[in-house]
Amino acid sequence: MSVLNFLGAAWSFEPWALIFAAALLASYAALPGFRLNGRSLLFSSGVLLMVLTLVSPLDHLGRNYLFSAHMIQHILLLLVIPLMLISGIPESAADKALRLPLAGAVMRFLGNPVPAWLLGVGSMWVWHMPSLHDIVMKNESLYIAQQICFVLSGFIFWWPVFAPARRARLSPLAATLYLASACLGCSILGMLITFAGAGLYPAYANPTDSAGILSYIRNDLCITPGVDQQIGGLTMWVPGCLIYLAASMATLARWYASPEPGPAGIPAVEGPLAKADSYARD
Amino acid sequence: MSSRIPIVPENTIPLPSLKANNGLLSWVASVDHKQIGIMYLIITLVYFLLGGLEALLIRVQLAHPGNDFLTPETYNQLFTMHGTTMIFFVVMPFLIGVGVYLLPLMIGARDMAFPRLNALSFWLFFFGGILLYYSFFTQSGAPDVGWFAYAPLSEKPFSLNKGPTYWALGLLASGIGSVASGLNNVVTILTMRTPGMTMRRIPLFVWMMLVTSLLLVFVIPIITAAFAMMLLDSLLGATFFTPAHGGSAILWQHFFWGFGHPEVYILILPAFGIISEVIPVFSRKPIYGYEFVAASTVAIGLLSLGVWAHHMFAVGLGNVANAYFSLASMLIAIPTGIKVLNWVATMWGGRINFATPMLFATAFIIEFVIGGLTGVAIASVPIDWVVTDSYFIVAHFHYAIFGGSVFAIFAGVYYWFPKFTGRMLSETLGKWHFWLTVIGFNMTFFIQHFLGVMGMPRRTYTYYDMPYWGSMNLISTIGAMILGLSVIVFVWNILASLRHGKPAGDNPWNAWTLEWATTSPAAVENFELVPPVRGRRPLWDLAYPDMPDEPGAKIV
Repeated sequence: MSVLNFLGAAWSFEPWALIFAAALLASYAALPGFRLNGRSLLFSSGVLLMVLTLVSPLDHLGRNYLFSAHMIQHILLLLVIPLMLISGIPESAADKALRLPLAGAVMRFLGNPVPAWLLGVGSMWVWHMPSLHDIVMKNESLYIAQQICFVLSGFIFWWPVFAPARRARLSPLAATLYLASACLGCSILGMLITFAGAGLYPAYANPTDSAGILSYIRNDLCITPGVDQQIGGLTMWVPGCLIYLAASMATLARWYASPEPGPAGIPAVEGPLAKADSYARD
Repeated sequence: MSSRIPIVPENTIPLPSLKANNGLLSWVASVDHKQIGIMYLIITLVYFLLGGLEALLIRVQLAHPGNDFLTPETYNQLFTMHGTTMIFFVVMPFLIGVGVYLLPLMIGARDMAFPRLNALSFWLFFFGGILLYYSFFTQSGAPDVGWFAYAPLSEKPFSLNKGPTYWALGLLASGIGSVASGLNNVVTILTMRTPGMTMRRIPLFVWMMLVTSLLLVFVIPIITAAFAMMLLDSLLGATFFTPAHGGSAILWQHFFWGFGHPEVYILILPAFGIISEVIPVFSRKPIYGYEFVAASTVAIGLLSLGVWAHHMFAVGLGNVANAYFSLASMLIAIPTGIKVLNWVATMWGGRINFATPMLFATAFIIEFVIGGLTGVAIASVPIDWVVTDSYFIVAHFHYAIFGGSVFAIFAGVYYWFPKFTGRMLSETLGKWHFWLTVIGFNMTFFIQHFLGVMGMPRRTYTYYDMPYWGSMNLISTIGAMILGLSVIVFVWNILASLRHGKPAGDNPWNAWTLEWATTSPAAVENFELVPPVRGRRPLWDLAYPDMPDEPGAKIV
């Protein structure tokens, strides 16, 4: 099969992906304060990107041929798409939800940076254990669960940094540390995958060539299983880390743009006043 | 018996002082951040002279082809010790030391958060250095395997002498000290700022020390663990890094550069901080784009953690890995470029006073940009393959570390010497020092770019008489001698000014950060009362209450 044919034919109709997308859109439309504006456009393009990631030839490649394609999918689902979804939620809706007793409690628990960090970084580590990855590749329902888990844990991971409700956010410096440590966690896994010997994920070593593009991948693109694994590991490591980096830059930018709390606490009188052993709290 | 235990004399006058007569014990037992800072500076000056002497011996050996001034063994020991000394016992501890002295003053605190830990850090560094240098007196001599001690060369059976063991032990000790001072700095900056000194108002030097300290805490443990493995290999017969027994020599390279590349930024970020303090004061303007300088520091810190493999392009990691690392390494040029633009924009339209600190700061920008540009060039894999392990690399990192960090260190010494000692350094000698340094430095290292492109390998004790190599090396050696002369002028300036320098007063440069609010040398308790902080330039706001930096801070 030629590449163009493959790109045309390898779209898969995944009912669960469409149902998940529809559920996301429906609950978004039901949010209080829903309006058609830039935010809702961002949210719906996030959903659209998610559907594309799950039904396009990328999915076919990732499930049958290339670990690196799987990794691109993974980064999109865990880091990019949830960020688009979260940025699309109107502030007022999140504010109201936080005030509801049950939903508020759940959100506060999940929005706590420790479980959020563990979910965000842990979902990378756990799902990439070679044995588990092998099982997931063979089991359709586990695969579905994995994809949904990526999106949800990504959503929870970004919440403490980019929550639409300001009071749910970490302070900028804490957020930078949160992101930097997540970047470190993701980098270490990327390093392991990159520098481990080839064949960490045996499913990709000898794929069943259902679409007939294997010789194109192996011979024309020169992507051997070893190279494939390296591209995968490096994709997690370098571009993955750049997303965290960009996010921490955005946090700092937001911090510097917001007004300084003001000279409250400092007596507005001239002359040296502060005792040398009282300290600032910022 | 108890009456013979010496009592540590209580220090009552600002130090250093030629009048103080409390003896050595008041220094050895001190937990005062200013005294510890000064001890750091003195010891690093000693190591700077030692490392410089080693460099001069190397350059004499290379002055003409086939020279036999040094034996190959001695030559190997000298370049190893030169690199190790300059990185671990000059630039890094100087920047830590200057931070130890200035951080509490700049944020209006009385001392570091953990004064005893601070002293421990210093003494670990001090004795680590002695351990390293003691190796010269052993039978087998100093370490001779290069400052990155690649396995398997540093392992049995290729290194049967004890040099690498001293190397690993000395650096292990001082590395633990560095982690401790990193933690100390972070806690001090986060918890001990005076009211009003919010995290968005701290001086950029403090901000960059914060990022540097986090880097220290994250990356020094990598190399500490690697040193432990290396010692296990050499002393207890483990085989972490010996491929013949199932270990991996490449693993050492990953560990070393996983630490070593962030280390480059540990050496340069505080230098950026010094420059970000000096340039505004001598341009009489607030720094242009404080936010950009601060945020780009965070970006550099994060990026620096993930690009070490560009030191390993020639190892054979594969094209894919090389391509990714090449790209990521080039990205660092963006935040670094932002900083350079900010410094230039700060100078733009300012009333620039080219006193010696400003001369060094200006030269820093130029020399560092040259080092940065060659850095972007060798981030490209094919170029790196051509010039790796040649004198091009030597030229590149000397432009980054000497032209960058050391020029900034000189700027910092001329800038803060009045605060450290209460006396000004001589401007005349300072200008001599500056011009000799600029001429000597460029003469030594610029020509090495060409030598490298012409194929001269680094770390060989001599070379064949290839066309022009002899004369170019001779030029480089003469440059090194001029550089040596400049250091003599520098040391003379320090010694003479300590005795006869012009009294400085509290704030000789009319600067605006809090360290200038106290006496010079800084009072024993730093401040009795800290000036109010309502913006990024508290002393400016105090002097010109009608035009504060932050409009909300105006006193009505």
